[in-house]
Amino acid sequence: MLKKIKVADLTVNIDLKYDKTIKQSEDYVCEFDKPNISIYIPDEDYISLKEETPYLSNEDIEYIYTGAAFYEALLQFNGFMLHSSGVVVDNKAYLFSADPGTGKSTHTSLWVKYFGSDRAKIINDDKPAIRMIDNKIYVYGTPWSGKTDQNINMKVPLGAIVFIERSKENHIKQIEPKEAIPLILQQTIRPREPEVMIKLLDMLDIVLRNIKLYRLGCNISEEAVKVSYNGIKGE
Amino acid sequence: MKIKEGYLLREVAGSNIVVPVGEGAMDFSGVITLNEVGAFIWKILETGAEKEEIVEKMLSEYDVDKTTAENDVEEYIRELRGADLIAD
Repeated sequence: MLKKIKVADLTVNIDLKYDKTIKQSEDYVCEFDKPNISIYIPDEDYISLKEETPYLSNEDIEYIYTGAAFYEALLQFNGFMLHSSGVVVDNKAYLFSADPGTGKSTHTSLWVKYFGSDRAKIINDDKPAIRMIDNKIYVYGTPWSGKTDQNINMKVPLGAIVFIERSKENHIKQIEPKEAIPLILQQTIRPREPEVMIKLLDMLDIVLRNIKLYRLGCNISEEAVKVSYNGIKGE
Repeated sequence: MKIKEGYLLREVAGSNIVVPVGEGAMDFSGVITLNEVGAFIWKILETGAEKEEIVEKMLSEYDVDKTTAENDVEEYIRELRGADLIAD
């Protein structure tokens, strides 16, 4: 059925058949006339996708591919996806980025536990959207948040990007854009079309020049949150 | 000689980076970072040039003697060939 949703301030017509994406989209339902983006997976695509990824259910395929379609379209609207878990504290979003299985979600869940769920919220646990609007950089929650349903339909200024790795001891250090470029390119959708790649690189130019970047080595503890938060706050 | 199709050079936050695009983006997901001279040579090679021409351009752009320029250009070409980025 056709759903009308608004994600990252973009109006989206999306044709959904399965419960998972329908449920994830509930908080984003919105009335509007013209869509910025239309997402539709034809039946024949399900058949070919099913051949490529036989272990996925149709419900999972819909969730993954509607997300991929949205994030691809996002590149045309001054935005991109960063594979990360995003936590909001005091109206700033901190994005913890890493390969799957590193412990991004674990780390941000420790933030929520430490600061309390009134002060700290997961804006998107896996694939937040970043958009540049009026010379400011914002993070948005989206319906596509990976394995968890943790996402909030909200818009928050980007506070910092933190590349995270597991470590016995907790330590954080600020890094230069140069060091962050390959890391960030590993954790987003890399467009193949040259003109779209240029758009992405020009957005990264703005983000990397204006946002503080860190490398965090952390274990699973309250101390990990303190080291990470104090490091970002410069204390 | 010329840079192969399917690579894009762009300055991002002060770094000259090269990323694959098009078909090549499927096989290689890395990023190449070039220094200023590397980016200068890359740009000349995007449209195609021989070694002598690149050295000439180096000499008019940078305050450098001919031997150094030749060595730099040769080294870059060797590296680019090593990474399979040059088509003849």
